[in-house]
Amino acid sequence: MKISLDWVSDFVDLSDLTPERIADQLTLSTAEVEGFEVLRRAVDGVFVGEIVALEPVPAAFEAAKLHVVEVDCGSRRYTSVCGAPNLRVGMKAPFAPPGTTLANGVRIEVSELAGRRSEGVLCSAMELGMSRWHEVVLECPGTIANGTPLAAHVPAQDVILEIDNKSLTHRPDLWGHYGIARELAAVFRRPLKPLPVADLGRFDALPAYPLSVEDFDACPCYGCLEFRVAAAAPSPLIVQRRLHALGQRTFGLLVDLTNYVMWELAQPTHAFDGDTVRAIRVAPMGRHGTFTTLDGQQRAMLPDDLLIWNQREPVALAGVMGGLASEVRPTTTRVLLESANFKASRIRRTSVRLDLRTESAQRFEKSQPPAHVKLGIARILHLVEQSGAQPEVTSRFTVAGDLKDAYRPLTMPRAALRAMAGKDLPDDEVLAILHALDFQARFDGEQLCVGIPPHRSEKDISIPADIAEEVLRIYGYGRIEPRMPAVPIEPVYVETALRLEHKARRLLAGGHGFIEVQSYGWFDDVWLAQLGYTPRRTLELRNPSAQQNHSLRTTLVPNLLALVRPNRAHRDAFRLFELGRVYWEGDHGKAVEQTRLAGISFQQAGYPPLEEHFRAIKGAIEDLGRLLGCGPLGFEAGGPGEAPWQMPGHFASIRRGDRAVGALGVLAGKILETVAQEGQVVWFELSMEALDGSIYPELKYVPAPVYPGSWQDFSLVWDIAEGFAALEARLNRFAHPLVVRREFVTVYKGKGLAPGKGSYSFRYWLGAPDHTLSSGEIEQFRSAFLAFLAAEGVPLRG
Amino acid sequence: MDEIRQQFLSDLGKANTPKELEEVRVRYLGRKGTITTLLKNTDFSQLTPDQRREFGQKVNDLKRFAEAEVSRAIEAAKARAAASGATAGVAGLDWSLPGTDHRVGCIHPIALVQMELEDVFHSMGFMVLTGYEVELEYYNFDALNIPADHPARDMQDTYWLTNGMLLRTHTSANQVRALERFGAPLRAIFPGRCFRYEAIDASHENTFYQLEGLMVDRDISVANLIAVMKALLSRIFHREVTIRLRPGFFPFVEPGFELDVQCLICGGSGCGTCKGGGWIELIPCGLVHPRVLEFGHIDTSKYSGFAFGLGLTRMAMMKYAIPDIRLMNSGDIRFYEQFPAAV
Repeated sequence: MKISLDWVSDFVDLSDLTPERIADQLTLSTAEVEGFEVLRRAVDGVFVGEIVALEPVPAAFEAAKLHVVEVDCGSRRYTSVCGAPNLRVGMKAPFAPPGTTLANGVRIEVSELAGRRSEGVLCSAMELGMSRWHEVVLECPGTIANGTPLAAHVPAQDVILEIDNKSLTHRPDLWGHYGIARELAAVFRRPLKPLPVADLGRFDALPAYPLSVEDFDACPCYGCLEFRVAAAAPSPLIVQRRLHALGQRTFGLLVDLTNYVMWELAQPTHAFDGDTVRAIRVAPMGRHGTFTTLDGQQRAMLPDDLLIWNQREPVALAGVMGGLASEVRPTTTRVLLESANFKASRIRRTSVRLDLRTESAQRFEKSQPPAHVKLGIARILHLVEQSGAQPEVTSRFTVAGDLKDAYRPLTMPRAALRAMAGKDLPDDEVLAILHALDFQARFDGEQLCVGIPPHRSEKDISIPADIAEEVLRIYGYGRIEPRMPAVPIEPVYVETALRLEHKARRLLAGGHGFIEVQSYGWFDDVWLAQLGYTPRRTLELRNPSAQQNHSLRTTLVPNLLALVRPNRAHRDAFRLFELGRVYWEGDHGKAVEQTRLAGISFQQAGYPPLEEHFRAIKGAIEDLGRLLGCGPLGFEAGGPGEAPWQMPGHFASIRRGDRAVGALGVLAGKILETVAQEGQVVWFELSMEALDGSIYPELKYVPAPVYPGSWQDFSLVWDIAEGFAALEARLNRFAHPLVVRREFVTVYKGKGLAPGKGSYSFRYWLGAPDHTLSSGEIEQFRSAFLAFLAAEGVPLRG
Repeated sequence: MDEIRQQFLSDLGKANTPKELEEVRVRYLGRKGTITTLLKNTDFSQLTPDQRREFGQKVNDLKRFAEAEVSRAIEAAKARAAASGATAGVAGLDWSLPGTDHRVGCIHPIALVQMELEDVFHSMGFMVLTGYEVELEYYNFDALNIPADHPARDMQDTYWLTNGMLLRTHTSANQVRALERFGAPLRAIFPGRCFRYEAIDASHENTFYQLEGLMVDRDISVANLIAVMKALLSRIFHREVTIRLRPGFFPFVEPGFELDVQCLICGGSGCGTCKGGGWIELIPCGLVHPRVLEFGHIDTSKYSGFAFGLGLTRMAMMKYAIPDIRLMNSGDIRFYEQFPAAV
């Protein structure tokens, strides 16, 4: 929000402070100032003049739509040629005579235009550097004497602070200049001048305005006042210059003053044409329909949208925008002024849906205080009177609902302040701060008794901690010395699951060359369709970011498979893993969430062969099982498979004991074509919950043999189709006292072997605990093993 | 004999490489070497016993002298060769060839930062807890004193599930869960993934990581919060940091703060990183709102607390100078490859 220091200075004297200091202190005590801008206006040498004669330019130049005007500037008259559309005799406007320099740097000279001598320029707000509005000449009130220097009403400079709206969400009172002035007065310990308002009690004898509120939940308070006034007369220059400085366009007295008071008090108000609107009813739309707002847009209404009605005709979209049919017109002489309080959530809902984020809606969304309903009208009426417009009030101030304009009492222990601050605060300073913020405050023994001013919303201030915040932020957080909490030492609970995740990361990345990636928590329908995968029991997003991302992921694999194609353009081999959550709908509609570890490994087709490739990844998973303290993991041929990447014969179920904890596989056929044409892809996915081992797995030392051992190598011919596990199972049946360990060395498939056969090499480590083996003992083992092989029908490779 | 000595020293002086020195050794001290054969070629019968003894003594001295000189020269030559850093050594090894068998992969930059911060907090006695990404509205909003009409509950900001649950919008959702589970006193952080329904650009993501912290104990004050934050940030940035608190609004803390750290690049004088302001907004924090403690069944007459939220994704971007948040979920190996598993 923009704050004009010129405006704020009406209420607090800041003349000795630099804008930097004001911005810094406001940031530290109240709300974040994002920056400030110095507004420079070109008013030097400009006078207020009156148009005393107006004639079109000679026929030859008519196309230019120019007028020759005679401007009375008091001491002399000027002739000027002007093209603005809003000129009329009797109108007063800023006039820049020759020698004046305008905001765009142009120096005014006597010139000839359309065949006529032009001795200066009638100025638009933009030419004066007041705003960006340039279509019309700025109209000044008729009360200003001709020849008055413009600088008497429009100072050459203002400073505009830009305050971060997000830091004002909880402070409805700060959406206006008076609220900011109150803060600055407290921050700099300076007096705050009261806000001048009209006494509405003067009109109590007048008839009440016909008003009914049908929904006090949506509209807790509604106030209005009717009066006769020339509503469209030009506003005082002080009003125009300030609205312009904030980027607010000016229209005419009443509309400008409703805006002015909104920027001053944060209370949005609305001026209706009093001849169009004759009675007020506040009620929801009640049905589907349309309403035309004053910007000329016809808008679709829902039954729940709150409207202001003139009997049966909707005349305003409550708290958001007025209606086109009832707006103040140039001819309006009777005004109905509305000042109301609306429920924040209702206004927000409607304005968000219609994408109509008006200044009014933004303020009501923050929960404005009902007390401002009356204050807003009293302030506007005061300003109307100040302008010299002489309003004739025709109704008394009529209000429905509770103004809640009493101070709200709150009592808290004196010690609570100290406890929250962590230091003692001087009593007098506490009271001075609260008083500066318009709170009532006094100490009563060990109690601090506070009265919360009506302008502070209940959402903002209701508990002792809120009072502490008020005191401390003005006292200065920088004055609180850091102090470490004194707490007893206790062992800290360690969440094993998280530590095991990090261990898995370190192992895969640190020891096996994997690269950790992250992907989104949802599937992509388009990609799933290409893979031919239909997930089951997914949790569904009601509002996905994109149409194809509605299902939360139930597995990490598809998102990883999607990374093969883009990355193979950069690398010819890579291993990726992701540690992340998957989700699905469990029993009784309950959401299930699980942490998964999944990986893919890609390399070009050819060498090394696929079997070596998958064995490398399997090695990583085996390491994982060991390091996570899960013991050795088992791998069993997978069944039919639940997803297209789980192809029969191409994947294994990973088991911990008798429990399935994940799967490992290779891609082939159609899905390989989709994911990585002419490449090899190995994938795996594990449930981290199922790998709930230990951060510090138990280990036990076994003494190394004292006497040197020996080894014997054997190459066995075995059916590839039967598989290594079956061969191992067979070899497990052989028991011999000298065998310390059996080690698988390598497998060979190819030339010299019968089709379908492989040569599997094993090394048997032999030894005895109490002596060095003799050649006889080794020979004895050899013949026993060969006999076993012969009996089992496992031939040695010749 | 002096001639031999002179000649030997001259030859030795000309020899440089170990190979040349070895040739000198053989020439003088080998089986047929000049010095070795001195004794053989001398007719001792012509000499008196005294002369014999003297001659033998001289030859032996010369031999020992020559042996010592040659050894010394060979050692010196070896040292010279080593010092000269000859790349093609005797075995033909090229030590400048790059190494192979690199096994170190990469950890996601967010995980790297998360692991580091977990260590920092753990060292200060904070538990590290996880939570749910699919969360109940209760823990994400209600229990955090975020009323039903709060803008954050609108469809714009939250991913809602058709079953009425949501994707957590902040790790603060763990606060009341942790209070329910552990009670008070409590010191814990909750790192994790969060989701907000927003348009993605270089600085906005719908999926990002936060790290929430919560301390509940007796007499926890603003002074405590400042001290703990200062200590943590000094550990995180590996140097003393200057911080300041200013008002900030979050419904689950009161008072609420924005914690700024004085710009570590310019030291506060203003630069591009701090956009000229000298301060960087880093950690929203505050004293835990009593309503939140009540939701966690904590006796607010005995206990109070502070809470803070760190943007892990943002910390990673700051720490590693990552300019575009979209890189985090990009799947582009060229991005991830820059973060070796160095933790």
